[in-house]
Amino acid sequence: MIQTIQVQEGITLRCCTDTRFKTGCLTVQLVRPITVSEAAMNALLPAVLLRGSARYPDLRSITLRLDDLYGTTVGAQVRKIGDYQTTGLFCGFIDDRYTAEGEDFFASVIDFLRELLLHPLTEDGGFCKEFVESEKKNLLSAIEAQRNDKRIYAAEQLMKYMGKADTLGISRMGEPEKVAAITPQELYAHYERILRESRIELFYVGGCQPETVCRLLTPLFQKVQRCYVNLPDQTPFCDGGKTRNIQQMEVTQAKLQMGFLTDASMEDQDFAPMQVLNTVLGGMTGKLFMNIREKQSLCYDIGSVYQGCKGVLAVSAGMDCADVEKVEQSILQELEDCCRGNITPEELESAKQTLYSSLRTVHDSPGGIENYYGTSALSGLSLSIEEYMRQVQETTVEQLSALAKRLQLHSVFILKGVQ
Amino acid sequence: MEKREYPRLNETVYWDELPNGLKLAIVPRKGFSKKVAYFATGMGSVHRRFQMDGKNYEAPMGVAHFLEHKLFDMPGRDISAEFAALGASVNAFTSYDMTAYYFTATEHFEQCLQLLLEMVTKPYFTEETVQKEQGIIGQEIDMNIDSPETRIFENLSKAMYVKHPVREPILGTKETIAQITPQVLYDCHRAGYNPRNMLLCVVTDTDPEQVRQVAQTYTACMEQPQVEFEDCWQEEMTCPTSFVQDRMEVARPIFQVAFKCEPFHTGAQGVYEEFVGELAAEALFGESSTLYLKLYEQGLIDPSFGGGLDSLQDYVTLNAIGDSDDPFAVRDAILEQGGRIAAEGIGEEDFLRMKRSAIGSRIRALDNFDSVCFRLCAYHFTGTDYFAFPEIYEKVRSEDVQAFIARVVTPERCTLSLIEPKEEDGL
Repeated sequence: MIQTIQVQEGITLRCCTDTRFKTGCLTVQLVRPITVSEAAMNALLPAVLLRGSARYPDLRSITLRLDDLYGTTVGAQVRKIGDYQTTGLFCGFIDDRYTAEGEDFFASVIDFLRELLLHPLTEDGGFCKEFVESEKKNLLSAIEAQRNDKRIYAAEQLMKYMGKADTLGISRMGEPEKVAAITPQELYAHYERILRESRIELFYVGGCQPETVCRLLTPLFQKVQRCYVNLPDQTPFCDGGKTRNIQQMEVTQAKLQMGFLTDASMEDQDFAPMQVLNTVLGGMTGKLFMNIREKQSLCYDIGSVYQGCKGVLAVSAGMDCADVEKVEQSILQELEDCCRGNITPEELESAKQTLYSSLRTVHDSPGGIENYYGTSALSGLSLSIEEYMRQVQETTVEQLSALAKRLQLHSVFILKGVQ
Repeated sequence: MEKREYPRLNETVYWDELPNGLKLAIVPRKGFSKKVAYFATGMGSVHRRFQMDGKNYEAPMGVAHFLEHKLFDMPGRDISAEFAALGASVNAFTSYDMTAYYFTATEHFEQCLQLLLEMVTKPYFTEETVQKEQGIIGQEIDMNIDSPETRIFENLSKAMYVKHPVREPILGTKETIAQITPQVLYDCHRAGYNPRNMLLCVVTDTDPEQVRQVAQTYTACMEQPQVEFEDCWQEEMTCPTSFVQDRMEVARPIFQVAFKCEPFHTGAQGVYEEFVGELAAEALFGESSTLYLKLYEQGLIDPSFGGGLDSLQDYVTLNAIGDSDDPFAVRDAILEQGGRIAAEGIGEEDFLRMKRSAIGSRIRALDNFDSVCFRLCAYHFTGTDYFAFPEIYEKVRSEDVQAFIARVVTPERCTLSLIEPKEEDGL
């Protein structure tokens, strides 16, 4: 069970007390409406915070402290959830029971996190220049390195083209030129502002009782002069027109990305059936895998993902450069089959079972709990797991066929070899 | 069944051996929906030469991985769909020294276990299905050719070793997999999927005795031929090539630097040696080391940097991988720091802290069912019980770590593998 506690206006603590785990986790997320002008700063901020604080002034003193805390991990967490970008820190730590300190251990972890989050090293009215410059360089490298994994790269490109008029097209990591232009002073002013104004989400999973967690976490933001600015609601996809782009690179295998659009959304009753459709089509044993990979041997990897916030279903596949058109046609054919209701009872049942399993196992790891409840709270998904499962169960082939007809091919991105 | 308790980890494992020689490890986890089973053989991509019932065999490169794919075929059935109908997902992987088939389920655990055992123990290959798989794996090979991590490691292994089969890609090549026939697969299956060479590892909240009964029933058909795998590939400790480079579509140069180490012994001694090596990696370039801080602050490494120990039969390397604009400077700095630790040793306080962190991280990893199964299997095939790690870690002495670094971190044992961006790339 997740207990939700309003710590103060705009600050929510979600607590999941569970003694089955050896690991606990705590995340602090500042929630922002994603914009091109701010995305780069939000992406950079946590990396700079992790470079040094007043008490732990360099990387080594931080990592030594983490070692002391039994190999606690702390990292930057930057997510994109529909129209929102979250920026903050996540922390994973061993449960009190396995430490010599016992119950005091969690308090030390929070103390350390507060230090990093609220007492960064500053100079000349900004963050430490050296930290900012070196983390800018790292972020720029990470943005560039996306092209190393061709599947991820192709998926990013599709989103960029398809979402040119929507937040879908804004990268979570920021645009390189925006990153390059950030100054330590500007970033510090931004940091102070978003600490003051943002909705803040705290999430805890571990063996401590909610009262204890709340008592330890409440003082965290008491010294911050808060002036909460209401977070706007999620908005539907804003269409900037269909695109078809082909890029050439020196690759052996071609990548195909097809973006389909539906008017179903996260809040309505079609969300769960849309996930069933996505699984029937592009799940681990879905139509695409069974027919295009297993029967036609055209691909090694093929599958689809559904982003409920924007009603976007993206199909991705890797294949021989000569087979791109053939695979593209086959994908459309499989979707056409769904429209016609050509879905066997076995296909439907196995998709449902796959979804049940993934929903049941949400509760089996701290990360699973944090990820499901932490993101669904922001994305507008108001389904409890039980209700979600019930809606999956009630989904019929007729419903899927109707939903498949609402899916329109919007944009295509192809990465091809040079020859 | 032997019930072993691990009070420091708050864990229990039921160990057993079936009459056919198959070992079982059952880890009870009460209160979780998720259940995981790994059925693993100690045959990996390096085990393609063997003697079986007095006859010698040499299978084409990539055969273990090919076999892994083909075991999913059962005549007139669709195994993945059967698992999916039970709400479970099944998958498999092939590494250099292990092939594992596993499923994750929340319900119908027993049926899933039966399916897994049936699938792995009842091979079925035809000319037609083998040919079709050549197409799918051909695409997987192409995908790997475009993967910088795979390419950098394969280049590194070829440069460091003269004859060790780690030089060969796990997937083989399109040419070698074209030589695979149903008979080749049947022979390799008979040799590698011998119950004495396998472990069934399960994490579940169901009754261990029931697991044992299912395992016994569904593995009764397994043959037990006399098999000797070729597994002796000892080499000189110097690297024949100290530098190798390649060009790919990457954003920045990617490097992997590795040091050749003496192979580990088997059993507890081997685990001790492994932990010595792991702590050596931590002391040398781990995130809390002075070198990491220095290189990070100089901008020579970034968060993509990481390293540790890789080991197989007759193969151990201490290695680090990352993106850098000056990989040579990183390599030289590691060598220099190795010399410093060799001369000065590691402070006692630093050493204790490193150990505490290492044990803490391993305890935390026990929340991950897949990681538990994977490690129990991998350690089992080297003759040890993974859950004994806290006790072994505590015994590790800093002098041994210092001596390890002194012996290993030297120019003769070092190879740098580099992937550079394509020249014509107009970034």
